Amino acid sequence: MILRLEVGTPPERVQALRARIEGEGLRTFLSPESARPIVAVVDALPGSLASELAAHQDVAEVVRPHGGWTLVDRAFRERPSVVAVGGVRVGGDQVIVIAGPCSVEGPEMMREVARRVRDAGAHVLRGGAFKPRTSPWAFQGLGVEGLRQLKDAGQAVGLPVVSEIMDAADLPAFLDHDVDCLQIGARNMQNFTLLKAVAGARRAVLLKRGMSATVEEWLTAAEYLAAGGCDQVILCERGIRTFERATRNTLDLTILPLLSEWTHLPVIVDPAHACGIARLIPALSRAAVAAGACGVAVEVHPRPETARSDGPQALLPGELTQLVAEARVQAAVTGRALHPAPGALAPPPGARAAGLVRAPRVRFPS
Amino acid sequence: MNEATNESPNPALRHQVAHLDRTLLALCNERARLVASLPPEAANRGARADDLLRRNPGPLAAEDLRAIFAAIDRGCGLEPGP
Repeated sequence: MILRLEVGTPPERVQALRARIEGEGLRTFLSPESARPIVAVVDALPGSLASELAAHQDVAEVVRPHGGWTLVDRAFRERPSVVAVGGVRVGGDQVIVIAGPCSVEGPEMMREVARRVRDAGAHVLRGGAFKPRTSPWAFQGLGVEGLRQLKDAGQAVGLPVVSEIMDAADLPAFLDHDVDCLQIGARNMQNFTLLKAVAGARRAVLLKRGMSATVEEWLTAAEYLAAGGCDQVILCERGIRTFERATRNTLDLTILPLLSEWTHLPVIVDPAHACGIARLIPALSRAAVAAGACGVAVEVHPRPETARSDGPQALLPGELTQLVAEARVQAAVTGRALHPAPGALAPPPGARAAGLVRAPRVRFPS
Repeated sequence: MNEATNESPNPALRHQVAHLDRTLLALCNERARLVASLPPEAANRGARADDLLRRNPGPLAAEDLRAIFAAIDRGCGLEPGP
């Protein structure tokens, strides 16, 4: 249950209300929201207490989440949350593009891809160092050495990096290499031991939807992260398994507008793993941003035919440039904007002071 | 009087025009933001306007579009293309 208090309720009355609830042996959390005190009660309330709280003078609204989550519920914030990945802000009124190879394959390749990703205008560099592969004979990733190569490449071009963590035992290596965002892959979405460990790392977390997970299971997995103290969670829709076999999975864009009602967490879309076919990715990316996604995550490789994993779904660098340009258009027509590229040239001082560019002076010639 | 000849324009079409106008407004402002982040030599439209207008499928005339793009360039603080 979420108690949205009246705006301006004094902190001492908020504390008194929490003490009343906690006196019944229930756990409460206070939203970091500054505009309005919001209290989440994560344990089941006895009916009498629920009635008492609903009638409390400071309680403006009582919200019951649609499922087994509370801290990630939309009602726990006044506005959708924004997650910082390095200097990139994910969510709000900006759209981002995450790009990079499926797997880190070596330092030279990683540096080349990083340059191409930056030059295309993307915002975050991705690359797998620990790879969850269906076959034990498939390339398993470079491990810790891959993390080092990814971070070095990201630093060289000024991009924050995201990489998948599969085992809590690897967490120190991710932190040692200052990986900006920890990705929990689809196969590990309900690895609760991993979720708890990652939550304590105080890093941004990209939580992919399990390939057979319902939205409720997905959001409840995100609740594990929030319960562990992580308030920097990004959701990533990456396709679900259906009867359709023409594509690798089925991209579930249906849930994007629904998620904006159910959770304050930003949602991005990974069209590459959803379809598995590179030529379909531009259209799916446009659709994702048009449907409200805060960004897309795609794979790019200078020579996809030689990629050690997922080559058929990797974009060429030129295709990534086009995808970013199209994301800018989709962002604008949905009332948002493409996030400034990290390391982009600063606007002239006059433009910055004006908040936009220069004073508009549009007059059509007679 | 059938609906097609009614003096009152079709409200759905008016709505569509208004929506397109809002989209054009958003795109013009987004272009201005983007230009502001570029060095002037990279932002100036120059010969690119000619190339763009050669691909104009109509129905707007190239000279009218040239005037529109010139106005957008000036609004972005740029010298209009030729």
